[in-house]
Amino acid sequence: MDVDPPYKLELVADLQGHDERAWQVAWNPIKPLLASCSADKSVRLYSYRAPDHGCNTVAFSHVGTIPTGHTKTVRSIAWAPSGNTLATGSFDSNIGIWEREDASDSEDAGGKVADWECVTLLEGHETECKSVGYSSSGTLLATCSRDKTVWIWEVKPDADFECMGVLMEHSQDVKCVAWHPSEEILASASYDDTIKLYIDDPSEDWYCFLTLSGHKSTVWSLAWSPRGSYLASSSDDLTIRIWKRVDEHTWKFVLELKGHERSIYSISWGAGRATSEGLGWLTTTGGDGKINVWEITESPSSKGPLAAKLLASTSGAHDVSDINSVSWCPRPDHADMFATAGDDGVVKVWRVVSQ
Amino acid sequence: MAFSGALTLTDLNDFLTPSQACIKPIEQANEPEESKVPGAAATEIVIDSGGSYYEVSANNASSKNIERKLQQAQISLNDCLACSGCITSAESVLITLQSHTEVLNFLSSNPPISTPDHKIPVLSIAPQSLASLAASISSSSGSPVSLLQILRRVRAFSTRILGFEHVYDTTFARHLALLEHTREFLERKRGEGKLPMLASACPGWICYAEKAHSEMLPFIARTKSPQQVMGTVVKSWFGSRWGVQPDQIYHVSVMPCYDKKLEASRQDFYSDLYSTRDVDCVITTGELELMMREKGWDLSKPVENESTPDFDAEIPELLSHPGTSSGSYLQSLINSITASHPSPADLAVKLIRTSDYEEFTLRAQDTGEVLFKGAKCYGFRNLQNVVRKVGREAGVQVGRGAAGRMVGMRAKKRGGEDEKGYDYVEVMACPGGCVNGGGQLKPIARAAGQKEDEEGYARNWQESGVEMPVPGEDGAMQGAKWGNKEWTMEVERAYWHDLPTPPPSPRPDTSDGPFDCADHLAAQVKVDLCRPTDSGVHDTWASVMDEGAERRRHEHFRTQYRAVESEVIGLAVKW
Repeated sequence: MDVDPPYKLELVADLQGHDERAWQVAWNPIKPLLASCSADKSVRLYSYRAPDHGCNTVAFSHVGTIPTGHTKTVRSIAWAPSGNTLATGSFDSNIGIWEREDASDSEDAGGKVADWECVTLLEGHETECKSVGYSSSGTLLATCSRDKTVWIWEVKPDADFECMGVLMEHSQDVKCVAWHPSEEILASASYDDTIKLYIDDPSEDWYCFLTLSGHKSTVWSLAWSPRGSYLASSSDDLTIRIWKRVDEHTWKFVLELKGHERSIYSISWGAGRATSEGLGWLTTTGGDGKINVWEITESPSSKGPLAAKLLASTSGAHDVSDINSVSWCPRPDHADMFATAGDDGVVKVWRVVSQ
Repeated sequence: MAFSGALTLTDLNDFLTPSQACIKPIEQANEPEESKVPGAAATEIVIDSGGSYYEVSANNASSKNIERKLQQAQISLNDCLACSGCITSAESVLITLQSHTEVLNFLSSNPPISTPDHKIPVLSIAPQSLASLAASISSSSGSPVSLLQILRRVRAFSTRILGFEHVYDTTFARHLALLEHTREFLERKRGEGKLPMLASACPGWICYAEKAHSEMLPFIARTKSPQQVMGTVVKSWFGSRWGVQPDQIYHVSVMPCYDKKLEASRQDFYSDLYSTRDVDCVITTGELELMMREKGWDLSKPVENESTPDFDAEIPELLSHPGTSSGSYLQSLINSITASHPSPADLAVKLIRTSDYEEFTLRAQDTGEVLFKGAKCYGFRNLQNVVRKVGREAGVQVGRGAAGRMVGMRAKKRGGEDEKGYDYVEVMACPGGCVNGGGQLKPIARAAGQKEDEEGYARNWQESGVEMPVPGEDGAMQGAKWGNKEWTMEVERAYWHDLPTPPPSPRPDTSDGPFDCADHLAAQVKVDLCRPTDSGVHDTWASVMDEGAERRRHEHFRTQYRAVESEVIGLAVKW
């Protein structure tokens, strides 16, 4: 295991600007745009451009800052699949929905600061909102909070929202919500060490159909595999677990990964450089300031467990700071690129390159 | 969020997070001695076998080793109500202040009749509680039992075994509440107050609105709930008829809901003059059933004349107000508007996703004009949407503090409402309404192996302290925590037992109606309690009295709400 990983991480951009710790990064699914949120209550937006004649690397430029108006930390951000709407979840317990004033001009990515406007405020959580996420169709928004609840909202026309469910399944703080990449299945992770999965009963309400137990401490973050047959979770118990869908409503624990010395705050699963049996690349980060990138493959026997190979690893990625968030760029032409956000208030963009 | 559906005595880990500091300060009577070693604890706290706390010097070398008994912090229900809410402590307080043991203690210590300190014990039971008992007895015995039969049996138990002197159901009080509620709606319709009017009978909803949505308070009807109207009737009206003061009556109510305990404890329902509450103690249906079990009373056994209506009762019995099993507030308004409109009107009902959210539109047959638009909205989820909708339509800022200011100008301007907004919403916090209240009886355990309806509300009974066979792990399809839908429907059926079905849209009878007697008595209650001095004829509830009498009407039949500042304290939250 002392063999050096075959790849290394190359710093593409070092984006300063937040006055306090940066909590999360989110790539716009349509436009070349990266957003970050921070304890300074703002959201910063960066556009990026593919290498061209003058420049041999991806270039990032700050194109706007949304001051948000949240009264406390903006803990979480999520883009709608359309790329036109941004949701912010704050410690002030509210969720802001942001749209550009004139959505018609799409040629330039960021737009001016004043362009982004809060079109709706979603209230209901009693305490700090910890995570927000849009479903793959963009018709549903999920939010979770320290109040132990998960809320599901239906996105209606005219920036209107209807509450579809208030799920009180967790016994503790809910840290993360994550939608299945193609189906209307929601997963949530909590301080109660469990992961819960929910679906809708069309004649009734949303309900929890499955609880995944096994982590021995807080589950911080969740990531679905790009095609949705696996779910990865990262925990304060210093492990990453991968759960396989074995039936429509059944997931089973298949693989445990280790490689961090502190809480693993964030996990992201990207397509990576696709290989035939590959399930993509998984990246993890956390309190130890380390970033690990793994290649996940289904073993040829198909019955056997998954195989994971550590592709690259970097320590001190944000100097001595904790790293709070990691996220793969969703664009196929940049499948080897991801961003991180740290307690140093910095957002960094990395690329996986050969040693 | 104190909702009876989720709130049970054994389920102490309510999802509401405890506040980080109790507002009730502990008064320190013992002056702490100066510590010799800075930073070192000078004393230890020791708990003796009786549960008392003692402060003991930690320095055992000191020969004195004095133990000092520490005072226990006293938290009253009112302290808890004024706080942004740790329902967990509120619940533990409830357990001692408002429990069936408290009732038994009172009854056993009540001085004998004819001694001056004797209090007349009165029991009032809600029809939803009767329905829960009826459904339980019917399902275990196989033969249906009516609410009247249950009322007779509960009365027999309460008077013969417990020593209550009077037992009533609360439907006459509800009749008064509905009359006053209709009056209030018409006032608001005239511009004296805000529309839409929102129902005020559900204490879970009131508590939630006061804590989380103070912008909704002006919309909530000021009319007292049936429980509190019953309190007024018992303590003031019966009291004067019996020639006793309010504090010479001990009034217990049996309710389908834990939050009714909070309601009865509100300062608004306390008389400073007589140092007494309109309702002294609230017990749930489940607690009544527990008392019967403890005393060995078999509710399935008939009592004499249990099916004979008593037309000579002091107040009419079991008035079945058509509409919903949660009090028929919406339907009573629809009936009143239909009756007062000169031409016939049609009622259209639109189901929104489930029967817990229905819209009612009343249109004049000839002109098609919308006379009234209302909704019935039950359950926490639907309640969220109603709060958003009402806030939007009425143009009030939904939001705590600065939050509302975030929404941009463009968004605020958007959406000129073409559709008519609601005039009224019957809001109840529990899905399924009051028949599914958190204080109701649990469904009778079916044969082992028979799985609960997966589509149903499948309450987690074990978590609620109810023993049930452990279901297989396979599938593990759990429903929400709100209770069993099938069972709720059985209670609903039991509730309407004495009627063929809930009549869809009954026409209020103008002559000889079932409520004529109740209306007549209501007018008398009004005159007796409000004491009008004008020369008018006050033979109806609606008739307007002189100023003083109207003021007394407000004192007796209306209440008020106040916002409770909720604070999201982010103190220790770093992550």
